Order: sequence, then structure tokens, then C-alpha cells
Amino acid sequence: MKPMITVHQLSKSFRSPLPAPEGPFRGLRTLMSRQYTEKEAVRGVSFSILPGEFVGYIGPNGAGKSTTIKMLAGILHPSSGVVQIDGLNPHRDRRQVARRLGVLFGQRTQLWWDLPVRDSYDILAAMYGIGTERKDARMDELADLLQLGEFMDTPVRKLSLGQRMRADLAAALLHDPDVLFLDEPTIGLDVVAKRSIREYLHNINVELGKTVLLTTHDMDDIEQLCSRVIVINRGTLGFDGTIDELRRRIGLPTLIRVTYRQTPVWPPADFNTDHTSLRLAEVDGRMLTAECNREAISAMEALRLLEQYGDIEDVHMEEPHFEDVIHKLY
Amino acid sequence: MMSGLRMYGLLFRASIRSRMQYRFNFWFSSVMTAIISIVEFLMLAVILLKFGHINGWSLAEAGWLYSVLSLSRAIYRTVASDVHNIESYLVSGDLDGLLLRPIPVLTALMSRNVSIRFGEVFQGIAILTVSMSALMREGQIGWLSIPLTIFVIIAGALLLFSIGLLTASAGFWLTRITELQNITEDAARTAVQYPVSIYPRWLQGILVGIIPVGFANYMPGLFVLRGDTGWWMLPLTAGIAGALFALALFVWRFGISRYQSTGS
Repeated sequence: MKPMITVHQLSKSFRSPLPAPEGPFRGLRTLMSRQYTEKEAVRGVSFSILPGEFVGYIGPNGAGKSTTIKMLAGILHPSSGVVQIDGLNPHRDRRQVARRLGVLFGQRTQLWWDLPVRDSYDILAAMYGIGTERKDARMDELADLLQLGEFMDTPVRKLSLGQRMRADLAAALLHDPDVLFLDEPTIGLDVVAKRSIREYLHNINVELGKTVLLTTHDMDDIEQLCSRVIVINRGTLGFDGTIDELRRRIGLPTLIRVTYRQTPVWPPADFNTDHTSLRLAEVDGRMLTAECNREAISAMEALRLLEQYGDIEDVHMEEPHFEDVIHKLY
Repeated sequence: MMSGLRMYGLLFRASIRSRMQYRFNFWFSSVMTAIISIVEFLMLAVILLKFGHINGWSLAEAGWLYSVLSLSRAIYRTVASDVHNIESYLVSGDLDGLLLRPIPVLTALMSRNVSIRFGEVFQGIAILTVSMSALMREGQIGWLSIPLTIFVIIAGALLLFSIGLLTASAGFWLTRITELQNITEDAARTAVQYPVSIYPRWLQGILVGIIPVGFANYMPGLFVLRGDTGWWMLPLTAGIAGALFALALFVWRFGISRYQSTGS
């Protein structure tokens, strides 16, 4: 299958004037300075995304995420390297690529602020060359999918955040693009709204077969929606694979909390040196917390080991939070 | 796919509708701009009335020069509203949103925040009518000057637009261009509201050669009002406006490809 998005050895550097060294009239000297500093925002990034994939694109602030997305969308032109969306160069063939691309900015709306929601769709339909019949059919689908009916005639500035997000999502999908870029789609939403948006996004990917690239700082979004994660850090690719692979790579342990019927026999001091895949973290009354590497030892074996120290009354297992995994990666 | 002009028309109307959501502001600002424009001209008129003429140019002639420029500017700012405000787009990063649409960025920018400058148009037409009828009564100009004047106004609008577009394109490199706009658009235009011959030679040279706003009213005015120079002045004016427009478009497109955008 031909990839939908291809990025090969993509790089972008920004030139900015070098601040003059400390001293009197520093600001003025900077203004006159002819020395520039090159900041490499993105260095040699390569990946390709197949049609229908739902990929999370994450990285700490300043990693080069937005720069890459902007190059993919054709807003910036790369310093070097190749970017292709559906075989087209997004910078050179900007308008053509724009027709295949739907973008959702969580923090900014793409709708016309003062006009009723309905008007924005009419304008967008005209912009993308969608005839009235097709537009009406599409609007019915989207209104159904995203429950837009209740606020179609409300000016965009009067919508709640959740409503606006749904309206923006519909706007991004109106022209039936093959590729969706989502930038912080759940930012600022309450729990209920987050869940619904996630559900919609999941459906859009699964039922409509859209290729989706999601950038977000909300790790729950990634965990629930993405089959694949690409991590960028300091301008270069840090990781590219599935979430499970990521967990395994980072190797954060599972926490096992065991509650004994009576205060357990204190384990020997050298327990931790004898066992590498199971590590005792703390003992608190009748509760013992152990860290377990699930790659090396199964949960059952771990419990059997722990049973040596007393009758187990209750067991509680905690997978590492995805956030902690990412934290370690960053 | 929508043709460029139809797209522009659609966005233009949408922009007007947005504005009309705020009814009071819409009518109030139209009235205020009309009043301000008229007061501006009255200041000039008072000076001219006192002296009878300025450097050989009568009050009626000066009125023609003033109003032709005024109308050119009104057309330019109505048709290409937000090009002048490109700095705010560059600083806030809002230009990115425009780049995501399958339409030329220029079209998008021209059709945003449209304000039809009723005030300035009204003022311009009023002063133009008064000046031209005075000149016709004196026999200085004939009926032919009416279509010629319209030609000059349109050419002038294109000229002012081109200067504005060139200045806006500089924004792709400089980001903050307010000061530059003050010079190329505001100062230059204010200067040619008065007959250019009142200025020292070097300044005349600038206003005709470097920032050729002089061709928006004074130069064609020499021919239309006084029969000086010759018929060639009109195609020259159009030629300069056209050439500047072509240059502006070229620099604009180049600027877009070099666009650097903000941090996030």
C-alpha cells in the first residue's frame, strides 16, 4: 500500500540575529548586528504513515512538533528533505494538498467567529467546490455524527467549548479529506466532552478510513486512540512504534500491592539482590508493594514468590501510567 | 471549483455580514469616517481660500487632486481590506490558518474585515463634484474629463494597492511593518493630497519616481485639468500602476514561500 504521508530526512532551521554580548547599549548593538544564529528545529526526521492509520505525534515543548506539522501542512517550507502527502508536495502544491487535508486546531477556531455555524459550512463548501446537494448530504451525516443540530444557527462566538470543538471537527471533515491533522482536540474539555470527542475520532478513523495524525499533550488521548506513536525530541525522532512496544522499551515496572492476612514475615535483606525481575519497594503494616518486570516474570510467579511471606488476602496490580512512560522517554 | 473572483465575492459578502452583526458600530463608524474626511478637507480648503491658490493651483484644481486621491484610496481599502493589517496576522500566527485553505492567501486576506468606506466615498464624490463643476463653469475642462477622471481614480486605486501590497510583502521578512507603512502609505499619500509642485525638487522626485504616488493624481491631473504634457500621460499612468502591481504580486508570492511563521 502506498503511504499516505511520507517524510524523509526532513530538516528545518531558523536563522535569527545573534544577541550582542552583555554590555552597554546591548539592544541597539543587537539591532545592528550582522551575526546570525542558526537554530535547528527539526533534524533529519523520517517516517511514513499508511492510509487508515491513527498515529500519535508527541514530544516535549520545543521538540520540533509544530514545525514538523507546519511543514506537513505546507505552511513552512523545509530547509532540506522530502515531504509528501498523497504523493504531492504540500508546500509547492499547497492548494491541492489543502483539499485533501482537514485540520483541527484545539486552541483556535477555523470558523467565522461572528456568523452562525451554518454560514461557515456554506462558505467552506463553496471554497472547496462542494455542490449544494453533496454539501447537504454531508452536513446531514456530520450533524448526525457530531450532534450539531442544536446549535447550527448560533453564532460561533456564543458556542461552548465542547460545541465549538464539534463544529470545528465537522468543518475539518466537510470536504471529505483523506488526511486529518488534529492539534490538541480535547484541550480544555470536561470529562464527558472528552469522551465523546474521542469516540467520534475513533469512529471517523475506523468507519471512514481516514488517516489521522494527532498531536497532543494529553496521554489518555494517545492511549485510547492511537495504534502507533511517533516521539520527537530535540528535533530528532526518538521512537516510532506501537504503544506496547513503547511500554516495553521504557520498561517501567508493574506495581503489585499485596495485603497479607497478618503482618508478613519480613523478607530477607538480600531479596532484591537475589531477584532481578521482582523488587520489593516498601512494606507498610500488612501491605507490601513490589515492582515487577512483566517481561521477565509472570504475575502468577511473582505472587507465588510473595506468598512465601504470609497468606495473601488481597492483591492489587497497577500498570505504569502512560504518562510516566512518556515522562521517562522525554 | 470556484473561480478566484467568485470566491473573493463570497468571502467579501461574508465579511460584510459579520460586520453587520454589530449594527450600531457599522452605521456609526460610517458616519464618523465621513465627518472626519470632510473635516480634513475643510482644513485644506480654509488654507486655500485664504491664499486663493497654492503654487499656481486654484482651489477647484486642488479639490480635484484631493478627492481623486481620496476615492482611489477608498477603493483600495475597500477591495483589499486586510492586506494593510497583515502585521497582526504575522505577529499572532493567524496567517497559518489562511494557508490551510485551498484559496490564494491574497484572496483570503483581501476579503477579511471588509469595511465599505461609505464615509470616504461620500466625501470624495462630494468634493469632486463641486470642484469639477467649478472648473467646468470656468471652461477649464469639458465633459471628456469625466470618464478621464474615472480612469485616473481606478488607476490610482491600483497604484495605491500595489504600494500597499509591496509594503505588506516586506512583512514576510520584517514582521513588524507599521513604521514602513507610515512612510510608504500614509506619509506619501498625505503628501500628494496637495499639488506636488509645492515641494522641493528632491521630494518631487521621490513622490514621482520612487514611491510613485504622484501618478495617482498630480501627473495625470496635469493633463486632465490643464492639458499639459499630452495623451501619453494616461497610458503612462496605467502602465506604471500595472507594472507596480505585477512587481508587487511577484514579491508577494516570493514572500509567502519564505514565510517563517511563529513558534507554535
